[in-house]
Amino acid sequence: MNTDIQLTDWRDKALQFEQQINQTVIGLQPAVRNIILAVFARGHVLLEGNVGVGKTTLLRAVAQGLGGDYQRIEGTIDLMPADLIYYTYLNDQGRPCVDPGPLLKHGDTLATFFFNEINRARPQVHALLLRAMAERSVNAFNRDYHFPHLQVFADRNRVEKEETFELPAAAKDRFMMEINIDMPTADAELDQLIFNPRFHDTDLLIADIHKHDIYDQLNELAQTVQQRIQTSPKLHAYALSLWKATHQPQQYGVQLADVDMPQLLMAGASPRGMGYLIRAAKTRAWLERREHVLPEDLQALFPVCMTHRLFLNPMYAYRKEQLLPELISGILNQVAAP
Amino acid sequence: MKTVLILVLSLIGCSGSIDEPVSYFNVETPRPFGYVNGDEISQRIIIETRSGITLQTGSLPAKGPINRWLNLNQITVKQSGQRYQIDLRYQVFYAPLEVKVLTLPGFTVQLSQGEKSVGKSIPAWSFTLSPLRELVVRQTEQGEYLRPDSPPSIFANDRALYGLAASLSVAALITAYLGYLYACFPGMSRRTVFKRALRKLSGLSKADMELALTIIHHGINRLNGQPLFYKQLEDFYLRNPQYRQISAELAWFFNYSNRYFFAVGMIVVAQDLQQLKDLCERCRRIERGSQ
Repeated sequence: MNTDIQLTDWRDKALQFEQQINQTVIGLQPAVRNIILAVFARGHVLLEGNVGVGKTTLLRAVAQGLGGDYQRIEGTIDLMPADLIYYTYLNDQGRPCVDPGPLLKHGDTLATFFFNEINRARPQVHALLLRAMAERSVNAFNRDYHFPHLQVFADRNRVEKEETFELPAAAKDRFMMEINIDMPTADAELDQLIFNPRFHDTDLLIADIHKHDIYDQLNELAQTVQQRIQTSPKLHAYALSLWKATHQPQQYGVQLADVDMPQLLMAGASPRGMGYLIRAAKTRAWLERREHVLPEDLQALFPVCMTHRLFLNPMYAYRKEQLLPELISGILNQVAAP
Repeated sequence: MKTVLILVLSLIGCSGSIDEPVSYFNVETPRPFGYVNGDEISQRIIIETRSGITLQTGSLPAKGPINRWLNLNQITVKQSGQRYQIDLRYQVFYAPLEVKVLTLPGFTVQLSQGEKSVGKSIPAWSFTLSPLRELVVRQTEQGEYLRPDSPPSIFANDRALYGLAASLSVAALITAYLGYLYACFPGMSRRTVFKRALRKLSGLSKADMELALTIIHHGINRLNGQPLFYKQLEDFYLRNPQYRQISAELAWFFNYSNRYFFAVGMIVVAQDLQQLKDLCERCRRIERGSQ
């Protein structure tokens, strides 16, 4: 079959998938669009938001739509890597047994792994997760387990900071995007969420979603999209400028109030981060029915792909919530294309 | 016999006037009285000569002192055909003790025809000169007798001054407005971005499309104060509402630029460049405020 026709069919499926999720989780269209992009670009996603805004429902909806197995684990302070890999119990005969843990038990059909409150888990768990995310495999019981279709979603609650472990930079960098999930703002949507019984029973809500069972085709599709969507030399130059600007924003005329710009950043975006940005941008161009990436694709994805990769000097870290969005929009406003 | 007599008398009558070299002569003098030390006296001599006879200007008195109390300040000769008008301006430096008769000396001017020359005497002219003051300087109750005139009163020139001030103010306002239109003030260079862009665009061909697009992008970015992208056009129109009238052209430009720079297989035609130049021209007109 012609690749172009395949891509068109897949695009229709993707948009239909997005539409279904938007009907299930209302008022989160921008976040849903970003998650769809991450799914089709095969990138892991870090979610951040307040409690009870629909993060879990959203992920369950995505997992249901994609098909494959869904596994969820809650981050706690006493969670250890072993808890993800195996668990021990006494069977009916009273004999001790060791079974694969949540990460391993679905084998290669594990498609969506949701790590709730990841910042409550210890760094040892983060380390295990790093490997699972980067290599899509873990070693256990003297052999490697592969999860070729694994996509990790992690969530961190931004309300509580006590008894939490800040994610190390290396772990954060492995997430393609960090998506903020905010409460819907429109009154009509809030009214629906409170009074419409449809939204009260999450299981029923999720069951409505058509199971596409496409999880095992996504890798191939993503590869095709990455190959078919073109990037011009000018776009390369633009991306390069954006990248450099994340390291030395002052050279691009970015200036923030009460900030000594050369002192602001400890680290800018990594090559992997920029690679993720371009992958997501190509996927966005495909969803927007284009065969080439435009600067607007990079601009749309730059905040979600870059904010969690920029590390501020400790002197400015306490103003992170304010400075990082300003820095990101400053870079986007100052770097010209062409 | 009677006829012969008339003929002879007529011939005699005519014979004298033919020999006379000057056909008209007059000395115009001013009043001969009421002069005081330092006054200037003008004299005009008018001489009309016969044809072929010319006045020898070298025979006129030279500018400068005539005698110890008389100076010839200026002498001008105007000739129109055979008519000479000689204007002399004397100045008297004589302090008489009482009214005194003085005489401007006469002189002789030479008229020549070929090698022959004939003199015409200008008569002397007498006039009276009065003293400036009494012989004995006296004191008066009002103060010093010899004192200068009261200074002349100054004409009221308030209206002229006000007029001048008003004209200068209007001129300054017009200059400032022109400066504003032509962006001569520092910090107003944003008002000439498309002027400069137009200058750079002229002479580019369709092979220079990349440069042409970049020039316009830079112009728009400069006007906007930061890079402007297609999605931000609505905000741009809110800040610069005068550009909304060319929103269709700007949208075309951004789409074209996107296709040119970021898509593959774009074919450029000469009309595109013309369209770019037209867009820049319209931007320039908006920038100048003439559209």
